[in-house]
Amino acid sequence: MPTKIDVSSPRTPAAIGKGRSWREIALLAATALVVIFTLIPITYLAIRAFEKPLPEIFQLLFRDKTLEVVGRTTFLVLIVVAFNTIVGTILATGIFFVKLPFARYLIIPAILPLAIPSYVFTYTWLAIVPSLSGFFAASFILILTTMPYAVLATLIGLRRVDTGLIEVAQTLGLGRVQIFFRVIFPQIRLNISAGALLIGLYVMSDFGAVSLLNTETLTVSIQNMYKASYDRSAAAVIAMILILASAIFILLEERFKGSSKSSAIAKSYSVKTLLIEKISYRTTILALLTIYVALAVFAPFYVLISRFLGNPEPIEFSNLFSAALSTITVSGLGALIALLLSIPISIMNSKSEGAVARGAERIILISHALPGVVIGLALVSLGSKISALYQTTLLLAFAYSLLFLAKSVASTTASLKQVPTVLKDVAASLGKSSFRVATQVTLPLALPGIGLGALLVFLTAMKELPATLMLRPTGMETLATQIWSFASINRFNEAAPYALLLVLIAAVPTFLLSLPERLESQDRDTDQNRIRDLGESR
Amino acid sequence: MTSLDIAHLEVSFGSKKVIDDLSLSLKEGEIAALLGPSGCGKTTLLRAIAGLIQPNSGTIRFGAQLVGLSSVVLPPHRRGIGYVPQQGALFPHLSVAKNIAFGLDKKSHSKAEIEKIVSEMLELISMTGFEESQPSEISGGQQTRVALARALAVKPKMVLLDEPFSALDAQLRGELRSDVVSLLRAAGTTAILVTHDREEALVSADRVVLMRDGKIAQHGTPEEVYEHPVSPTVAMSTGDALVLAGVRYADGRTSSAVHPLTGEALSGEIGEVVIRPEELHLSTTASSNSVEGTVVKIDYYGHDAMLEVKLQKNSQSINVRIAAPVDFVVGSVVHVQHSGPIRFFAKN
Repeated sequence: MPTKIDVSSPRTPAAIGKGRSWREIALLAATALVVIFTLIPITYLAIRAFEKPLPEIFQLLFRDKTLEVVGRTTFLVLIVVAFNTIVGTILATGIFFVKLPFARYLIIPAILPLAIPSYVFTYTWLAIVPSLSGFFAASFILILTTMPYAVLATLIGLRRVDTGLIEVAQTLGLGRVQIFFRVIFPQIRLNISAGALLIGLYVMSDFGAVSLLNTETLTVSIQNMYKASYDRSAAAVIAMILILASAIFILLEERFKGSSKSSAIAKSYSVKTLLIEKISYRTTILALLTIYVALAVFAPFYVLISRFLGNPEPIEFSNLFSAALSTITVSGLGALIALLLSIPISIMNSKSEGAVARGAERIILISHALPGVVIGLALVSLGSKISALYQTTLLLAFAYSLLFLAKSVASTTASLKQVPTVLKDVAASLGKSSFRVATQVTLPLALPGIGLGALLVFLTAMKELPATLMLRPTGMETLATQIWSFASINRFNEAAPYALLLVLIAAVPTFLLSLPERLESQDRDTDQNRIRDLGESR
Repeated sequence: MTSLDIAHLEVSFGSKKVIDDLSLSLKEGEIAALLGPSGCGKTTLLRAIAGLIQPNSGTIRFGAQLVGLSSVVLPPHRRGIGYVPQQGALFPHLSVAKNIAFGLDKKSHSKAEIEKIVSEMLELISMTGFEESQPSEISGGQQTRVALARALAVKPKMVLLDEPFSALDAQLRGELRSDVVSLLRAAGTTAILVTHDREEALVSADRVVLMRDGKIAQHGTPEEVYEHPVSPTVAMSTGDALVLAGVRYADGRTSSAVHPLTGEALSGEIGEVVIRPEELHLSTTASSNSVEGTVVKIDYYGHDAMLEVKLQKNSQSINVRIAAPVDFVVGSVVHVQHSGPIRFFAKN
């Protein structure tokens, strides 16, 4: 084949080099903008907190009431985390290693409670036991709510356990309990801790359950201070404690995540030959599972359905419809903003592991640990200064996008990263410019993942309560606020249709998460995302 | 006419030099094999030629056109090369036909032209009828063929193949390799094949380029690099080799464990002698230039066998390859004789 040599290159290489760096600069600038944007509310909150004179801040921080609330929050976190880590690990290990009927699908009822927000849980249990109140009631409800995190995180770890090692341990004469502690546990330790951290974050930031059960934790304090006195500076000081605690949690999670990468990727054999058939194991696990499903699935659904059907008053469909519509509108807008904000960071993250990309991702991650009540407080204070934004749907949507940005960044980055570099290389060698590579290869391959990520953000935002309560425009009701206001005055019948609708909608991502195919995927990257998916479904 | 000319190329990843002052040129239509252990820089060199990474210094020319020079780089999509990565890497969202047509510009080709090229290419790779198949529906070997067709469809100046057969089983690998080489020869395309399989390199290429630690250790025709290695290490990278201690005397004679010295010894240079196992011959009778030994092990491969022989004189074990059938058993006393070039490398 004769080689045609183009001596006069149409574009000088120098010009190409310049174009590239321009693109990089634009990307960097966009990322910086998003990061700054993300930090505005928190910075504003910090400024508000330090408006108070220092002695007053100290007085506020060290008064008996504050110490009591911090102590109560800490104990609540510890109790729920400890209980669920132990029971959740036992349940997950049982589901995985004990021969059970319909094993593949047993996981669905065990993690279905993910779809039920804590305030719906509380309300359904209040309908059964009206006297339910106080610290232990809150512990009980939050244990029911967060158990699926422990089960799922452990289960994801178990999928990666090298079953060959278990067989080796068996041939070396180890018993089942020994095998668990010496072979399995070391391999799933990181997943268990990831689950524990997620539960801790959830409990710390929960508002609905503790508030309905009259247990004053930090989130309730902040909301009360904001509502009662409109002393936003004082509320901001307390919010700072919560931010600090969340940041510590997130940094811990980062540490664990970082070290989990170094663990070897196990070869996976079928677990079938290892299934325990002993009757005592089977009954124990089935009993545990039955108790949990009865308390966390049947009880709430029984209340929702019976109250829905038994309601003597006709349902006000126009209210239900308008609440659903505003929920969809504002959550959709929030998901869209989150997607747009996530694009520059995701592109950067998927391209390189550079220090800037990592730094940006870390800041976003810290923002993801912020409780809704903190974001709500920050934006309500900030919004009141900007009359064009105050009490608008846009501000609430912005709050959602901030709360769920980390989720959006994670799914967009993962989808972009899943496009193999070699395909982009091949496309480039076939004469496609980097723009063409992006539109003809990267985008078509990444789009389904990005879309699913946006859908999950959308469905998660629908359940958000504390920020919605603070930021919704006057007169606007969402499904979450309707449930909350009916439940807080014990009008359980009226709350039922709203709660039922919300739980059904929220069950969609839970169902997607719990599909056997998805859980059985062996990809480590998706594991990380799955754990993060969980973290965001609060 | 030269097709590829690389001069003083250097590529570093951080502080690590992966390609170090490397120069290489290829004639048009030549098929070169880059052979070396993993980590020697062969894939990096390929990616630098493709423009997928940027060298620190040195030049890369395609014919007379300068495509790579330290800080300025012609981007990969303007280089006109075909790139076939490991395991084919087909676009999973496109059918076989669309994969092959991927690089064809819709502005300069009419729809009919594209269809014609695609069907020609499918015929070339003997896969007519697979137009609408999805990449997930075809076998690994077929995927590699389609990847090659995709690269050839744009009539590239050069095709770069990065261990395209490494994921395939031995038999399929051999068949596909010879098919691909014939396709490349038929198209007259210059090609570079990266491999760590020494047999693959010797069988497929016009020129074998042996790489080690980011440098070219030796390059030449397969016969040259196999028969006349420049060092014992190079000899071992192209095939089985015996490296024996040896002495070269002032009168030009060489002695080693299998080269008995007859007559008077003069002063000599100490070094190593490289022998291919198939250059040694075994017989039951002694001759003037043979040495005696005992068979201690037989590895039987079917078409030939590798015998381990313990030499009587110094108890050294050497490997001897003989054609089947094997007339010896473990314990047989044999006489080993070398016939072939004596490759002596002085110790410095």
